[in-house]
Parts: sequence; structure tokens; C-alpha cells
Amino acid sequence: MKLLYDLKDECKKALCLKENETIWYCVPFDLVYDFSERLAKEEYTDGEAYLVVTEYRMMVLCGTTVLKEFVLSECKEIKCETQVHCGVVVVTDDEGKHMAARFSLRHITRVAYVARGADVLVQGLNERIESHEYETYCEKCGRAMPGTSKCPYCDGKAVVLKKFWKLCKGYQWKLLAISCFMVIASGISILMPDIQQNFIDNILLTKAGDYTDIVKFVLTMLGLTAALIIINVVRNWWCVSLGAMLSMDLREMLYQKIQILSISFINKRKPGELMNRVSRDTAQIRRFMEEIFGSMISTIVTMIASLIMMLTLDVKMTFYSTAMIICAIVITRLFWRNIHKIFHKQWLRDDEMRSGLQDVISGMRVVKAFGKEEEESAKFERLSQNFARMQVKNETFWAVFFPILMFIMSAGSYIAIYFGGLEVLEGGMSVGELMQFVTYTGYLFGPLAWMTHLPRSVVQMITSLNRIYDVLDEEPELKDGEEAKAIEIKGDIKFNDVSFGYNSYEPVLEHISFDVKAGEMIGLVGASGTGKSTIINLIMRLYDVNRGSISIDGIDIRDIEQTSLHSQLGVVLQETFLFSGTILNNLRFVKADATNEEIIRACKAANAHDFICKMPDGYNTYVGEHGYNLSGGERQRIAIARAILNNPRLLILDEATSALDTESEFLIQQALERLTAGKTTFAIAHRLSTLRNADRLIVIDGHKIAEIGTHNELLEKKGIYYGLVTAQLEMAAGKEADENVIS
Amino acid sequence: MVDLNDLNIDEDFNEEQMRAESDDLLELRYLTKDNAVFERTKGGFVSLEYAGKKYDRVGVYRTFPITEPEEYISIREADEKAREIGMVEALSNLSKDQADMLREQLRIRYYMPVIEKVIDVKEEYGYAYFQVKTNYGVCRFTTRMGGDAVIALSDCRYQITDLDGNRYEIVDLYKLSVNERKKLDLFI
Repeated sequence: MKLLYDLKDECKKALCLKENETIWYCVPFDLVYDFSERLAKEEYTDGEAYLVVTEYRMMVLCGTTVLKEFVLSECKEIKCETQVHCGVVVVTDDEGKHMAARFSLRHITRVAYVARGADVLVQGLNERIESHEYETYCEKCGRAMPGTSKCPYCDGKAVVLKKFWKLCKGYQWKLLAISCFMVIASGISILMPDIQQNFIDNILLTKAGDYTDIVKFVLTMLGLTAALIIINVVRNWWCVSLGAMLSMDLREMLYQKIQILSISFINKRKPGELMNRVSRDTAQIRRFMEEIFGSMISTIVTMIASLIMMLTLDVKMTFYSTAMIICAIVITRLFWRNIHKIFHKQWLRDDEMRSGLQDVISGMRVVKAFGKEEEESAKFERLSQNFARMQVKNETFWAVFFPILMFIMSAGSYIAIYFGGLEVLEGGMSVGELMQFVTYTGYLFGPLAWMTHLPRSVVQMITSLNRIYDVLDEEPELKDGEEAKAIEIKGDIKFNDVSFGYNSYEPVLEHISFDVKAGEMIGLVGASGTGKSTIINLIMRLYDVNRGSISIDGIDIRDIEQTSLHSQLGVVLQETFLFSGTILNNLRFVKADATNEEIIRACKAANAHDFICKMPDGYNTYVGEHGYNLSGGERQRIAIARAILNNPRLLILDEATSALDTESEFLIQQALERLTAGKTTFAIAHRLSTLRNADRLIVIDGHKIAEIGTHNELLEKKGIYYGLVTAQLEMAAGKEADENVIS
Repeated sequence: MVDLNDLNIDEDFNEEQMRAESDDLLELRYLTKDNAVFERTKGGFVSLEYAGKKYDRVGVYRTFPITEPEEYISIREADEKAREIGMVEALSNLSKDQADMLREQLRIRYYMPVIEKVIDVKEEYGYAYFQVKTNYGVCRFTTRMGGDAVIALSDCRYQITDLDGNRYEIVDLYKLSVNERKKLDLFI
């Protein structure tokens, strides 16, 4: 997303920039705020309003006037606040809070980034923030972008087609063969009326031939038709296989790329979106190759060749027919637009009816409980009637107008016959030539309906290609540096003034520093959303820090090969993810060459061996999709066994024992103790009792480390941790008291 | 010294505090011209003095933004938690100056342009491009051609949501000309 728009010279002049002052951010906004009256006006700015940030100042610029100026060194905080369908920038200084700008949601993301950028400057950091988000509208043509980085109508088209061509190069012989076939097929189509003309004029009308000529003619036509059919079959077959191959290639490339790309790229997108790109967009390419590409060249070649042949036969008649074609194109377009419109409306009604139905069926208990069956039936009846009425209307329209359209499409031939007939009578044209001419007009009119759809199909394909190449062209954010090496991790970890946010305008962790010695167990404590999991994500290097550094055994984490780091990490998460397959497969996932004995040892250590043995299929038990055939505790223990099998140097436990019953918690607790012995461990837990073995605890509050120390040290401090512990104890005591009363 | 082994609780919160907070939430407090004083701040916001406490800036929220824009106005603290300080039953109950102050804040907070004239609607490849005149002026916006871009609030009142999430209102469809309605035909 662009954060630095160009200003016109006269606007720039109005800013009165000092010599060493440069514009860091400059973004447009759209709603008028009157600073003199201190009033939000119901008015749009005329498109010339910008929020400008330099090293020293933030200015609200409207045309060539600076409406308001804030000196950054006098500000305490600059913040973008979301309102209802709009946002405002609020500046805090010694005098309090000030309105700076108001804008609709169209600009909010951009302004939020800039406000954050200005705030970074206010905090005295000399850093520029960037936005990796895509634009929602094309800057050139103003069209909405269908989730692509480049507009498929403007610059996206040529670039993407070039890339696609490169991909097609692997199949260039097939493509060439298909093209040849298409040209041959067109040639035959054009040749056949010519032979026919010759037959009529020179044999039938002059009565000059005998039965051998007729047999010859029939056999020639039969042969040509058969050839045409065979060519079309082979062509279609090749087009289908080409489409399938291309979409397969794209799918594989996408899959590999998504695996390489960092978690941040994947997290920024909705899960369904990437799935769509892999499955739906590649299918779109396949469909295009099968349905459109296959006939595109031959249709266009046939049409052009027909036109040339028609011109050689009779210029005047060609003129009449093409005039008719233009009429037909206009009428067809109007017709399809109308059809699209009315069927879109029908689709809306259908949608309404469906969601009404879904509402009632999924809310059946509520409907029944409140005795509202009749009202709901009436409501649904109305929706259903609306839909039915619309459907009847549309089908009638279709039934009446489609034949009319068909008639208009063929009217061209009738006109040709009329004028041609006159010519024949006057002797300017032979009967055979007339027949030939009429066939060619048929070639011209036939694909008209198909032609009107062509632009839409081409745009759809280019959009899909764009969406695919956006992923393929994405550079992985987390790359191994050139100096990156594989190391044997001992387990000393150091956070050095680390700051991080998933979006650069929204920090999650700020100035985090701590040291961990090899073999220590660290508990991370804090309310949800404070950044405990983020610390863990950074240690796993799913993301890179924004500022500061993390080092393992004195080596910056960015200089360690990712595969080397990940192979020495063990992770047990709250929601255990098992792949569909057997327990054995899931265990071997981390160590493909583990022997059966190793596996049994690991499972025994994880207290999992027992329940696995009791299952009819033992270690070969199929766990189902996501492991849903097992209970939460069982899945958890398999995950621990998986971590043990890996023999990691660093262990990460994120809420590993929450939501379990007491017995399985005890078993898992035991398993974890065996697992963590002697290894550097980071553990997150809501239940503080889980952390009783931790050597030290880190309490996170408000994006920062609030307290750090051993259990006893923190209790003596009587801070946040003390509060948490006493609260949990009181709750426990309260529960016990309640239970006593009941018994 | 507390032993952590004694602990076995699911949630870590201070029960007493929570209970006090939830009791506090239960209470419906009305701000009237007798007990509350609003004042414009230099920066364009509004401060409040109520129950012996001074709030430098307060948030002004509508509770029925579509049906009752001037009634049951919730006055909230301006921080992230935005706890309710009290409610103004109706702006008309306050003195004109005080009511106007709150109206100004509502105007900052709410952006819902009302469509007065439909100039052009163009449909292209799954998106609809609108050009309309609203009470804010002439404006272009884009919606997806899906089912929920336009929803009916009542028989004649419609609401259009654009790609960015902005909402545009048609207060009375039948006040638009036949021609304009025809342009909207595809959605209504």
C-alpha cells in the first residue's frame, strides 16, 4: 500500500519545507473537519486533501493551505482511532487531545499506517514503516482490484501474459500442433463451400457430368467432413490435456511456494483465500484452455477467411451482410445484458429464500420454543412466492426472446439470399456462388453469441493468473542469510531489546530483553492477548523481529539455518494438530527413520503407550481427520511423544495442559517433566500450578515485561503475579467452601 | 508463603473486582442537565464533569443509530475499554448548547452519507461502480455484486455497503426518480 503520494509543486510549496526536511508520509483523506469552528462538516474534500508527515511536523494540507500543523517534538502520541464507518487521527500533547483529520473507511488503513509512522517519530525513533497490504482500487483506472497486487486491466495484463507464455513454453510443440490443427480445420471449413459451388455450377446446372462426378463429390465432402471431425476431436483432446497439465503445474508451484512463504504471509490472508488460489484459480485456467483457447484461433481465422472469400465473391453483398452483423452484435449484447440482469435478480431472490430457510432450520429450537411457527411460515411463504414469481417472469422472457434473437442472428442469411437472388436473376452471380456466400455468412453469424462472452472469459482468466502469480512472485520474508549455518543448539537464549508487531502499525511487544541459560524452564504469564504466544512465535522464528535481536548460544537467530533451528525445536501446543493417518505415521512425521523401539520408548515417556496398546489397532490406529477419533488428552500425549522422539534442545509448551481432566492432566504433567528435564523450556499456562517447576517466570503486561524472577521473588514483590496467585487461591478456597456447603 | 501446588483453577481473575464491575454495569445512570456538565475542549472533543469526577474527553455513542439517533445516547470513557459513564435519555432534555455539543461529537463519530441522487451505476465483472450525490457531496464507490451489498432496512429504506465497509443510506427509495430507481433495479 502506497504511503507516500506525490504532491503537486504548488501544494508542496505551501508546506514551507525547511532545507533538511523531507516528506516521509503523504496520504489522501476525504472528510472535511473545520478547525476554526471545531466541527466535523458533512462535506467531502475535493480530492486534494493530504495528511503529510515530515521528520519534524505533521500537517493537514487542503489544496494549497495548511489547515493545521503539529510539531512532532511537542506531541506525546499520535493515534488513529476507529469510529463508526470512519476514523479520526487524534494527537495528544501537553494541552490534551486534538482532532487532526477525519476520513471514511476507504482511507483508514493507509492513515492508520501513517499515524503509526508519525507516532514512531514522536517516540524519537528514526524509522520508516511500510505497508505490505495490497491496494483495493487501481490507481490508474479506479477499478476494484480482485485481490491482486496489479490491476488485471492495466499493467497486470501484459506482465502476466508474458509469464504465462513462459510457462506454456514447456508445451510449445503441443501448442504449435494445436494451432496448426486449428488453421487446417478453418481451411477445410472454408474449402467445402467452394467445392460445393463448383459442383453446383459446373456439374449440376450445366448437366455436364455423370454419376462418377456425383460419387466423387460425395466422397470428397464425406472425406473432408470426417477429417474435420477427427481434427476437432484430436484438438479438443489436446486442449483438455494441455489445460490439465498447465493447471497442474501452477497448482504444484503454488503449493511449493506457500510452503516456503513465511507464516506472516499466510496469516495475512484468510485461509479460504489461499485454498481458492490453489484450487479455483487453477481450475479457471484449465477451463479457459479447454473451452475458449481451443476454439478461439480457429473461430477467428474462419471468420476472417470467410470475410475475405465473401469480398472476392461480391463486395456489395458483403457490405450488406456485415452491416447486419453489427446490428446483430448490438442486439445480442443488449439481450445478454438484460438476461444477465434479470437472472441476477432471480439469483438474489433465490439467495434470500435460501438464507431465510437456513435461518429457520438452524434456529428451529428457538422458533418452536417461542411458538413462532406460523409467523415464520408466512415469512418464508412470502420469500418463496417472490422467487417463484420472478422465476416465471424470467423464464417467459427467455422463452419469448431467445427464439427472436435466434431469428435475428439468422436474418443475415435471408438478406444475403434476397440480394443474392436478385443478382442471380440479373446474371451477376451463379447459383453455386450464392450458396457459397450464404454458407460464409452463416460462419460469420454463428459464433456471435460466443464472441460476446469472450471478453469476460479473457478477463476472468487474466484475473486468475494475476492472483496465482501474486503468490508465486512473493519473496519469502524469512530468508536464510548468506552467512546462515547449521548449529548444534545448547540452549542459551537472549532477547535484546526486541520489538515486534504483526502489522507494523500495531506493536504487540515492545523493548523485551531477557537472558535464559541452557536448561532453564521459563514460565510466561499474563492476560490473554498480551503477547505470550508472540514471544514463542519469535523463538520459533515464524516471524522476524522488527527491532532488536534474538540470539541462541550467542548467534543471531537470523544467522541460523531455519531447517537446523526447526529440527532442534520441540513444540506442544494447546490445540494439537494430528494429520489424518495412523498414530505411527504421526509419530514418524518428525523422524522418518525412527525404529519401533524408539517409538515405544517415546510413547512410554509420554504416558501414551498404555492407551495406544489398548486400542484394537495399536500403533496402527487410524486417527481420523485432525485426529478427531482420539480424546483431547490422548492427542496431547501423542504430541508430547512426537516432541520426545525429536529429542529437541529447545522446548515450547503453549497451554499444553489446559482443558484436560484431572487424571490426564496428571499423566501429561508427568510426561512433560520427563520431557523438559535439562532442556531450555518456554511454557505458557493460564493455570499457574502448571508452572510450579519453572525456574523463572516472566510476567507480560501492556506489551512489555512487567516482572521477572523466581516464584518466591515475585510473590515477595507483591505485584501482578502476586495478584494472580492470590486470586486463583481465593477461587480455589471459594470452590471448596461451596462444595462443603453442598455436602 | 503460598504454595503453587494448591492452585488448580481455570481462570485467573479477581472475583471480587469482577463482581463489583458487573454490578456497576447493571446500573442505568442518566446524565441530566442537573447532574452533568459537558464542555468543549480545545482539541475539538468534549469533556464531562459528573458525580464529582472530571473526564478530559468522553466518547458519545448512539445506542439506536438507525431508529433513534437522538435518544439514549451512551456517554463513555475515551480509553480502549470505553466503560459507560452514563446515558442521556434524549438530547432534547439537555440545554440547547449542551445538546449541540454532543451532536457535534456524534457527527465526528458517525459517517453514514445519505444518497440524494443516483447519477450512474455501472456493472463490470462482478463489481458495481456507483456514482451518487450524497449529503456530503458527489461520491463514487464500489460494491461487490453479491447478495449482501444492498440490504433493505424497511420497505423503502435501503443501505448499501461498499468494498471498504462504508455505508450509504437511501432514506426513501420512492423519493428517487423512476430513472434513478431503474439504475438501482439490479440490487433492489
